[in-house]
Amino acid sequence: MQTVAATGRLSSNNPNLQNIPIRTERGRQVRKAFVPRNDDYTLLAADYSQIELRIIAALSEENTMIEAFKNGEDIHASTASKVFNVPIEEVTREQRSNAKTVNFGIIYGVSAFGLSNQTDLSRSEAKELIDTYYKTYPKLRNYISEQVDFARENGYVQTVLGRRRYLKDINGSNAVVRGAAERNAVNAPIQGSAADIIKIAMINIHKKLTEGGYTSKMLLQVHDELVFDIYKPELEELKGIIKSEMENAYKLAVPLDVELGMGENWLVAH
Amino acid sequence: MHIPSVIPEGWEADDIIGTLSKQAEKEGYKVFMVTPDKDFGQLVSENIFMYRPARMGNGIEIRGIPEVQKRFGVERPDQVIDYLGMMGDASDNIPGFPGVGDKTAKKFIEQFGSLEGLLENTDQLKGKMKEKIIENAELGRLSKKLATICTDCDVTFNAEDYELSVPDSEAVQKIFEELEFRRLKEQFIKIFSGEEETTETQVTSTETAQKIAASAGSGQFSLFGGDGASPATIKNTSSRNTIADVPHAYQSVAPGMAMKLFLQNLMKQSSVCFDTETTSINPLEAELVGIAFSWESTKGFYIPFPEEREKAKELIEELRPFFESKDIEKIGQNLKYDIKVLDKYNIKVQGKFFDTMLAHYLINPDMRHNMDVLSETYLNYTPISITELIGKKGKNQLSMREVPPDKQTEYAVEDADITFQLAQHFRPELAEAKTDDLFADIEIPLLKVLADMELEGINLDIEFLKSLSKDLENDIANLEQKIYQAAGEEFNIGSPKQLGEILFDKMKLVDKPKKTKTGQYSTAEDVLSYLAKTMK
Repeated sequence: MQTVAATGRLSSNNPNLQNIPIRTERGRQVRKAFVPRNDDYTLLAADYSQIELRIIAALSEENTMIEAFKNGEDIHASTASKVFNVPIEEVTREQRSNAKTVNFGIIYGVSAFGLSNQTDLSRSEAKELIDTYYKTYPKLRNYISEQVDFARENGYVQTVLGRRRYLKDINGSNAVVRGAAERNAVNAPIQGSAADIIKIAMINIHKKLTEGGYTSKMLLQVHDELVFDIYKPELEELKGIIKSEMENAYKLAVPLDVELGMGENWLVAH
Repeated sequence: MHIPSVIPEGWEADDIIGTLSKQAEKEGYKVFMVTPDKDFGQLVSENIFMYRPARMGNGIEIRGIPEVQKRFGVERPDQVIDYLGMMGDASDNIPGFPGVGDKTAKKFIEQFGSLEGLLENTDQLKGKMKEKIIENAELGRLSKKLATICTDCDVTFNAEDYELSVPDSEAVQKIFEELEFRRLKEQFIKIFSGEEETTETQVTSTETAQKIAASAGSGQFSLFGGDGASPATIKNTSSRNTIADVPHAYQSVAPGMAMKLFLQNLMKQSSVCFDTETTSINPLEAELVGIAFSWESTKGFYIPFPEEREKAKELIEELRPFFESKDIEKIGQNLKYDIKVLDKYNIKVQGKFFDTMLAHYLINPDMRHNMDVLSETYLNYTPISITELIGKKGKNQLSMREVPPDKQTEYAVEDADITFQLAQHFRPELAEAKTDDLFADIEIPLLKVLADMELEGINLDIEFLKSLSKDLENDIANLEQKIYQAAGEEFNIGSPKQLGEILFDKMKLVDKPKKTKTGQYSTAEDVLSYLAKTMK
C-alpha cells in the first residue's frame, strides 16, 4: 500500500508483513514459511543497517555521531562510551543496551518515563541519561528544536526529497496533542527520508533487473529491508548490484550500510 | 433536532433523567431512558425501561424489570443500588467493598436483601470476607449513597417538550456536513424523509418519552405519533452537486461503427483517464465488466465487456494500442489496481501515469484518499454511491455484472470523469507544494515496481505454516489454562474489560490502576508489559 502511512513509508495488507513478529523466537519462525520459487533460487534479504540513526546524524550534522558511523564503529557502544564516560572497549552490555534504547528513543521523542519503562533505569536515572545524551550530542538537540520551530512556522516538516507532513496541531492549545505533533516534527522527516531512500533504491534496482534481463525478482519491502528471489547463477553479480544501488540511493553526510543475507527461507536470509 | 436539553445548575444528568422519568411515569407515560449505563437499572419499573443503543455490532436492547432481575440477580430494581454499592463501579469512581465482585454481590443480595442487611448480619460471614466487610462498613454505605440516582431534583416534566417534532432539516444537515458526519447525515435523511421503513430508527437523545398508542401492541412506535399525520418530507439539502444536478454526456459505446469511431478519437488524445469495473476488489481474480474513459470534464464513454472470457479477450485487443501507447498519459485513481487487472489479460499498461490517489497522498498525507472523499472535498460533488448500486457488503451484494447496463455506464463514467477532474485540480497543487518531482520521479515509477512485485507474489511453504499453526494452537491452549489457574476462574482473556477486572478488581495487582477514556481499566500493551516487568 503506497498511500496508507502518512510518513511516506510503504505498508501492506493481506497479509500485513510489518506485523510478522520479530521479537520472539517463535514469532520469527513465521519467516521460515517464505521460500524461493524452487531449488534453483535462493532468497536474498538486503537490510539497511540503522538507517534512521544515520539520517538523524546526517540531518543534524552531529559530527561526533557522523564520525562514529564513518569509522564503522558500533554506534551504540560508541554512544555508551561517551555518555557513561568509559573507553569504548570497557562498555558493558547493559550500558550498550541502554545507549541503544536512547538512540532509538530519540527518534521517537522518548521521555524519561518511557525510557525507564523500557530499561532497568529508574525515572531519575533515565532523565539523567537523556540529559547527558543531549550534552554529548548538542547538535542533535539543536536539530530537534529547529524541526519543531520549522513546523510551528510553516505548519509542516519535510524529508530529504521534500515529502511533506502537515502538523496542524503544532500550535494547538492542548498540550498532549501538541506534544504528539512535536514528536512527529522530529520523527516524520526521519521516517519519511528513510522511505524516500528505500523507494529510490527499489526503482533503481527494478530498472537494473529489467534492463539487465535477469530472471531474479524483487519480492518484498518490509521495514528497512528488501527481499529478492535470486536465480542462483545470478547471485554473485546481483549481490554487488543490490548492495551498491541501496547504499548509493541517496548521498548523505553519513555512509549508508546494507547487510546482505542469503538462505533457503526468509528467516535464514534475514 | 428540536430535542429539549435540560440543564439545571448543580445537578448531574443522571439525576435529571431519574427525576423526569419518575415524573413522566406518574403522568401515565411509558418512559425509555436511552443509555447504556447499567446504573439506570435501579430506575426501571413497569413503565420505565432502559433503551440501550446498539454498540460494537450488538443490536439495541430494551431492559425492563425481568431483564434487570436477571442481569443483577435482584428481586426489585432498586436493589441495583445495593449491588453497585457492594461491588463498586470503576467508571463512576464508586469504591464498593474490596474483594467483592459481581458474583459475591449477587450472593449477598440474595442472602440479605440489601447492603444494610449485609452489615447487620456480618456474623454469618466467614474469614477474610467478614473482616473486610466490617472494616469497610462506612465505605459500603458511602458507595451505596454514591450509586443512588436522585429522583427529586429541581426540574419539571412537561409532556409537550417531548413530543417529537419535525427537525429543522437544513440546520441539522449543515451541522452534520460541517462536522463531516457523512453516515449520520445519510441516516438522518433516510429516517426523516419518510420514504424508508423506520424499523430500525435510532433516535439519539438523552431521553425520549412517548405515550404508547393503544393500537401499537407490537412495541413499534411511529416516530411522529400514531395520529396519522403524514411526515413532512425532508430533502437532501446538501450544497454538494450530484449526477442529478450536473449536465453530463456519458455514453455507452456499442460494438461496430461506434467502437471504431471511439477508438479513432481515443488514440488522438494526449491524456486520458480510465477506470476498470470488475467483479472483485481482488485484482488477481477480478474479471472485467467494463472500462470507462474520460478526457474532458463531464464527458466520457463506457465499453461494456462480455462475460465470456474469450470474447472479453477479443475486445481488449481492440484497446491494446491505447493501453500500450507510450505517448498517451493514463490518469486513474489507484492505477496499480487497474494495471494488475489488465495484466491478467496480458495487457502491459504503458506511458506516463497520473494517479490521483498518489497525488493526494503527497498533497495531504494525513487525509483519506478515496475518490468519494476527494470528490466531495475538492469538487463539491457527491458521486453515485457504490452501495446504492450493488448493495451493502454481504451475500446479497450484487456483482457489478448484475447491475443494469445504463446504471453501469452512469456509475463508471462518472468515476472516470471525476478522476479526470481531480487530476486537473491536483496538478497545480503538487507544483505548489513542490512535490511534483517527488511525484513524477518516485511515487509514480514506484507504482509500476509495486504492481510487478505484487503480481509476482512469493512462494509459501504451506506445510510448514500448517504445523506452525498447530504448535501455536497448543501453546495458546496451555497459556490459557495457566491464566485461568492464576486467576482462579475462566474468563474471556480477549475481552479487555474482563481482563481488567481480573487483574485489578480480583487480583488487585496495582493500587491505582490506569483507566481508559470510557472508565474501563486499561489493558494496553504498555500497561501489561509494565506489569509483567514489576511482577517478576
